[in-house]
Amino acid sequence: MAFLEINDLHVHFPIKGGILNRTIDSVKAVNGVSFQVEQGKTYGLVGESGSGKTTTGRAIIGLNEITSGQVIFEGNDLAATENKKLDVKRDVQMIFQDPYSSLNPKKRVLDIVAEPLRNYEKLSRSQEVERVADLLEKVGLSPESIFKYPHEFSGGQRQRIGIARAIALKPKLIIADEPVSALDVSVQAQVLNFMREIQKELNLTYLFISHDLGIVKHMSDRIGIMYKGRFVEEGDTEDIFSNPQHIYTKRLVAAIPDINPKNRDAQKKFREEVQLEYQKDYGRYFDEKGLAFNLRNISQTHLAALPEIGVVE
Amino acid sequence: MNELKLDVKKEKKAHRSQSGLNILWREIVRDKLALVSLIFLAVITTTVFVVSGLLDLNEIVRVDLFAIYEPPSENFWLGTDYGGRDIFGQLIIGTRNSLAIGFAVTLMTGIIGVSFGLITGYFGGQTDNMLMRIVDFFQILPFLMVVIVFVAIVPNYGIVEFSLIMTGFLWMGIARIIRSKTLQERELDYAQASQTLGTPRWKIMFGQILPNLSSLIIVTMTLNLAANIGLESGLSFLGFGFPERMPSLGTLLSYATNPQTLENRWWIWMPAAILIFLLMLSVRNVGEALKRATDARQRRG
Repeated sequence: MAFLEINDLHVHFPIKGGILNRTIDSVKAVNGVSFQVEQGKTYGLVGESGSGKTTTGRAIIGLNEITSGQVIFEGNDLAATENKKLDVKRDVQMIFQDPYSSLNPKKRVLDIVAEPLRNYEKLSRSQEVERVADLLEKVGLSPESIFKYPHEFSGGQRQRIGIARAIALKPKLIIADEPVSALDVSVQAQVLNFMREIQKELNLTYLFISHDLGIVKHMSDRIGIMYKGRFVEEGDTEDIFSNPQHIYTKRLVAAIPDINPKNRDAQKKFREEVQLEYQKDYGRYFDEKGLAFNLRNISQTHLAALPEIGVVE
Repeated sequence: MNELKLDVKKEKKAHRSQSGLNILWREIVRDKLALVSLIFLAVITTTVFVVSGLLDLNEIVRVDLFAIYEPPSENFWLGTDYGGRDIFGQLIIGTRNSLAIGFAVTLMTGIIGVSFGLITGYFGGQTDNMLMRIVDFFQILPFLMVVIVFVAIVPNYGIVEFSLIMTGFLWMGIARIIRSKTLQERELDYAQASQTLGTPRWKIMFGQILPNLSSLIIVTMTLNLAANIGLESGLSFLGFGFPERMPSLGTLLSYATNPQTLENRWWIWMPAAILIFLLMLSVRNVGEALKRATDARQRRG
């Protein structure tokens, strides 16, 4: 059994309207998503804004209500109502996108990082301070900063505090919702490398949500690409980047800038080819509502949402 | 070298003072008018509470037919009223009563309003919808009429009963303000992060969100204090406040409804009128300064 298994997840938001404020329609933010994550690995979830990748992550941790589907974490279905109170919560933690709003401005670092500890572990005051100092050291902040307030730190440092809080309970799964999008490029690498380090150290599993393909390529073992609430392609990092099948993936891959000037012409040619194919064949890749088809196996590890009539090309 | 160290320390201190209550305090110190108002309030409050402890209420409210309408003299610093009662004593005790009511009502409406607003705002949706209809219900009740009816029904009433009646109809404003702010705050990542960390809801409301509303609460309650003092005086003036054996600023003022008193015996109503005016004005000055402090663009300090 997989470590984390998502089966046909749907998250719909109602649209209220009419005279009596009835539900007249719904926004299908996540519309039938299935994937599996193995322990100790990083699963990258990519897509443009509004594609439902963040909603998927938030639904797994319980911040968004699941309309239907299953979220099976170590054999427990987190979506089932009778499991709401289950203590699996402490094994699943989240790193938030915005390091500025994710830390309570009125709390000291000590209170912020110790919050999960206070909820799940009964520690004495001195033990708590010790634990928090340890955690801060682990994320590369000086333990003296425990009595400071969040506004006294830079964005990168704040994100580290957020990470310290997320790993305080030694969770098994961390949902990282665009953890570096709000950070300076120079700090991004720092935080990402640090995340990889603690992954090895604590045997963490990441669900890494991002719109930056370069970062996802660097971080992930497996990647799922989302578009309008559905998966268009899923596969190992190698599959996605060297053999993209769906036109949407191809365009994404083609859009990654190559730093080597020698490849510039080749890149340009590739981009033009993809653009041509996109204009010609766009309609074939989506059904009449503009949604992606169901995923089909291309190889052992590689799935793509291709139309029924054979593989394109 | 030593000086440099000192400098760093100072800077650190200045940096620290950026957060929380210090901003409010700095704004008041910068705004001289607010500072003077605050000192005035502090002086008046302490004097009134200390002096009223030394005065004998029964002595003051006892009718003395041989000293009716005495002008200010050595015996009666501010003269006497139509019952020969000492105005100065009534003024001190009246101010104490008015202030006590103002503080009590502000505090109670604050507690009820903040809790109510937090709960409605945090849960949102249907809960919000239902609870806000209760607020609407209280808001459309004609406050003055209900108070008059209560005064007529409740036979024996003093500061506690009067404050409770006022509180019952004055908690909605602060509840609405807190609710709307809570609706904003609960969407912020830190509130959601708390949820993923396993913090129970009531702890998120009162432990995480409440501290972020502190400046708003302080400002609203200060401005409410001014309004409540005015409201109490107004009700007493109309005769629906305290009975005559319990002096209040409004009662003293109501003697001025007698044209003779209004024209010829200024000592009865003038001090009370000035005091009400000054009290409300200074509370407001402080409140406005606090309000400015919560908005970084309007700050002076």
